[in-house]
Order: sequence, then structure tokens, then C-alpha cells
Amino acid sequence: MFRLLPWEYGVRNLLRRPVRTILTLLALAVVIVLVFVVVGFVRGLERSLAVSGDSDVVLVYSLSAAENIENSAIAARTPGLLAANLKGIQERFGVKHVSPELYLGTRVEAGEASGAGLGLVRGVGLTAPLVRRSVRVIDGDWPDSGEVLVGKLAAAKLGAEASALAIGNELEFEGRTWRISGHFTAGGASYESEIWCPLADFQQATKRQDLSLVALRLTPGGSPAEAQLFCKTRTDLELQAVGETAYYASLQQHYKPVRMLAWLVVALVAGAGVFAGLNMMYGAVAGRTREIATLQALGFRRRAVLLSIVQEGVLLAATGSLFAGAVALWLLNGLAIRFTMGAFTLRIDSTAILIGCGVGLLLGVVGSLPPAIKALRAPVAESLKAI
Amino acid sequence: MYQKMTVAALGLLTMFAGCSEPSTTVSHDDSSAVAPHVVATSEPSGAVPVGQARESVEDGEEVVLVGVVGGSSQPFVDGLAAFTIVDPKVPYCAPEEGCATPWDYCCEQDQVKDNIATVKVVDESGNPVATDARELLEVEELSTVVVKGAAERDEQGNLAVLANQVFIRPGE
Repeated sequence: MFRLLPWEYGVRNLLRRPVRTILTLLALAVVIVLVFVVVGFVRGLERSLAVSGDSDVVLVYSLSAAENIENSAIAARTPGLLAANLKGIQERFGVKHVSPELYLGTRVEAGEASGAGLGLVRGVGLTAPLVRRSVRVIDGDWPDSGEVLVGKLAAAKLGAEASALAIGNELEFEGRTWRISGHFTAGGASYESEIWCPLADFQQATKRQDLSLVALRLTPGGSPAEAQLFCKTRTDLELQAVGETAYYASLQQHYKPVRMLAWLVVALVAGAGVFAGLNMMYGAVAGRTREIATLQALGFRRRAVLLSIVQEGVLLAATGSLFAGAVALWLLNGLAIRFTMGAFTLRIDSTAILIGCGVGLLLGVVGSLPPAIKALRAPVAESLKAI
Repeated sequence: MYQKMTVAALGLLTMFAGCSEPSTTVSHDDSSAVAPHVVATSEPSGAVPVGQARESVEDGEEVVLVGVVGGSSQPFVDGLAAFTIVDPKVPYCAPEEGCATPWDYCCEQDQVKDNIATVKVVDESGNPVATDARELLEVEELSTVVVKGAAERDEQGNLAVLANQVFIRPGE
């Protein structure tokens, strides 16, 4: 009959060598935290791009700008033309939901302590919140002339302290000083790393009369096709219309190499972790050759001993996973990361937890199997004599 | 005692992994029935190239145009039977140049401006057919097409054709 070793045997074994157990636990936890960092990075980037797109919003910008709206320059009359020619634009109380915007990356001074950083500034009008519905002013007011509204992640994008962007403080960009009137969030969308200011002021400051883009909100269930057809028909305007969801999906493709690289890092970190685990488990098992042989002499089958050793490894890895998971949730989740397109937060969501803990448990199993098999292959009589 | 603690730890781990957020998927299908007579079985006679047509055609005039599907990286309108065509005389990147989207005429944008027209395949009531041209006509970028229909001109000199017949030249 196949008899397993008692469950407590493996648990007690771990507690018999507390220093080795704690060191192994810490090493495993560090590896799993690293996995969480990389997976959280990928999930945060994906999430930021996914929530930035609204299926009812269409972006109209220059045909020559390809996928980079910062390079776009379109005529100032474009919003009026679009509003007059497209029937599918949402309209309430006589106001068409059309948002003309000027968008560019520029050097922003956030006070002497924080210095200057590359910020993303969007000149907007009062119709912007009608189109960008995820935007919420969380404190302060909508900006008047000479004022700016600062996104939740703008400080991370600028590399400045959050206190430098407090209401009432001043920013300098495009040769002007701007007072911070309030802060906004956007549900994790990419605008959260931006600074918004009145469109007319921004056009004056940049000495530009054109726009970067026009964002349109369609009636519910509307299709971007009408706007696309308008742009194709008015070839003289050299415009393109792209659904906002499709636009951010194309950015997902643009950042695919970065995401692939991040997954490669996950694989490499996990691989390194397996080797570290193997090393530790070889050390742990090598010192127990006599004990393992004694168990076999007592009548426990090799499979039972193997299971007990794997149980120890998995138990240690599970504890390390929980520890790393707690660290990731409390310390890493929501950490702002500066990136070329703005900033986003590390996201330790259910998928990240599943991957991190899965890798952790895998380390436990894969790390403990080879040394256990090696120890069990040795003849019992010889092993009993081992020092 | 140890067993209970271990089971609790593993249970907690499973609970972490089980947390998930609801996901939403939106699907949209605008396809509609298509009149088969739109696809011509033989080439309409008297086709003129797009560049020539832009110089002479009046608004409302019946025209037959020949052109190459292209003019931008995405010449088709998603969900509608509409696309842009460029005069066949305008050269595009040869395959050996390795351009991923030769139909955007990236090297000849100056010429495209005066040699481009929009084709809108319309139904009997004159509205654009709500099926993607790639599905409706089995046409693709850089296909040479001959379209017949009413010309639509505006003050800016743009040319569109409300096409009721489309012929795709085989092998081109």
C-alpha cells in the first residue's frame, strides 16, 4: 500500500532550519516581486491604452501625422466644417459635442525644487468634458485664462514632486506662467499625465492658429464611418478620422515590442528564479541524505519521500508568493511610471496576481524536483552511511 | 495546527488569484444586403483616368473613371462601400523597395493631391452602401478599378463618384 509521509513532517522540516528557510523564502519572494513588477508594468500599459479609447469618440487629425497626434496640424475651421457636415454628432441643448484641441509635448518648469521636465499640454475648450467623459475635476476649478488643470499623473510625467503641482502653484511653459487651478483624473486614461489649459491661451502662447485634432462624440451606437467618408471626400483638407478605440489599439500595436520585451523579462526572471530555487533546494536536500535514506528504510516509498520534498518546496514558494503578493499590492500597485506617451500606473490586478503566484508555485515544484530525484536515486545502504 | 495554517495560506493565495474585474466586449455589425448589379461583369467603356476627370468633369455628370485603389495608408472607409482611387499614371513604391503600404504613395504625395477621387458605391436611393467595399467588391489596395456613376464636385475641386457600377480589372 502506498503510504504518504505525514503533512506535518514537511512543515516541521521547514521550521527545523529556520535560517535556511527564511533565506530561501526571501530569495523566492524577491524573484516573485520582480515578476510582479514586470507583469504590473505590462498590465498598467495595456490598461492605460485600453481605457483611453471611447467607442463613441472619433478623432479627426492630419493625414500626414500617421499615428502621432503631436505631429498633426489642421485648419482652425475644421471643427465648424465637421459640425456642419456630419449628422451623427451628439448634440444636447444646442451644443454639438465637438472638441477642438491643440496638443503638444513641451518643456514645463514646475518650480525651482522640481526643475523642468517634458510635459504633455492640451489646449481645450469648454466642450472637451462633453467629449472626454472620463475626465473628472477632483479638486479646484476648471481653468480660466492663464490657468491650467493638472492631471493626476502629470507630476510623474514631469518627474516632479506632487506638492510642486498643488493648486495655486505656478508652471512655466511656452514662455508664459500658468497658475494651477485644479486637478483631474480620467479613470486611468492617458490624459491623466497631461496638463490642460484654455485653447485660445495656448494658441497665443505657441503662436499657432491651427489645431492638432478635433475629437467628436457620436450619438450612441454611431459609427466613425460618416466622419471617415467626409475626410475621404474632402481630400483638400488632408484629414483622417479614426475611432478613438482604434487609435489606442494601434498604439497597443506600436508598443507591442515593449510588451514582448517585458514578457521576455518575466520569462528570464522566472528562469533565473528556477535556477536559484534549484540551487537552494539542492543545498537543502544534500544535507538530508541520511534522513531520506532512513525514511526509505522505514518503509516509505520513494514517491512518498519525493512528494514530501516537493510539498516543502511548494509550501515555501506559496508563502513567498503570498508575501510578494502583499508587497506588490500595497507598495507597487498604483506606482506612477513615466513613459514616452505620458505616464501610467503599475497595475497589480487579478491577472498579475495569477501570473506572479503561478510563477512562484512553479518555482517551488520545478526547483525541488531535480534535487529530490537525485537524492532518491542513491542506494539506501550507502546513503545511510553518508555524513 | 501546521496543516491548518498551510491550508489557510493556500486558500488565501487562491482567493487573490480569483479576484477579477468584469470585462465588456462591444461588437458592431453594420453589414446590409447588397444589390449584385453593382459589380460589373464587363468593363464599362470610355473610362478616363482620375487626373483627367478632375480637370473636366462637372458636378452631376455621368462619368466612367479608372484608378488604382490607394492614396493613403487606409484608402477604405470601414463599414461603408467607399474608398479612394488614384490616377494610374502616378507611380507607387515598387515591391522591391520594401514599403509596407505602397498604396499610400508616400513618395509621390504631391502628385496624389491632384489625381485622387473618392468612390462611394450607392444603392438605388443614392445612399452609400453600408457594407465594407472589401467585402462587397472583393477589392483590395492597389487593385485597378473602373467605376461608373454620377460625379460630385465641390468648390474646392474635390471629385467623388456616386458609383452604381464597379469593374475590377483582373490581374491588376
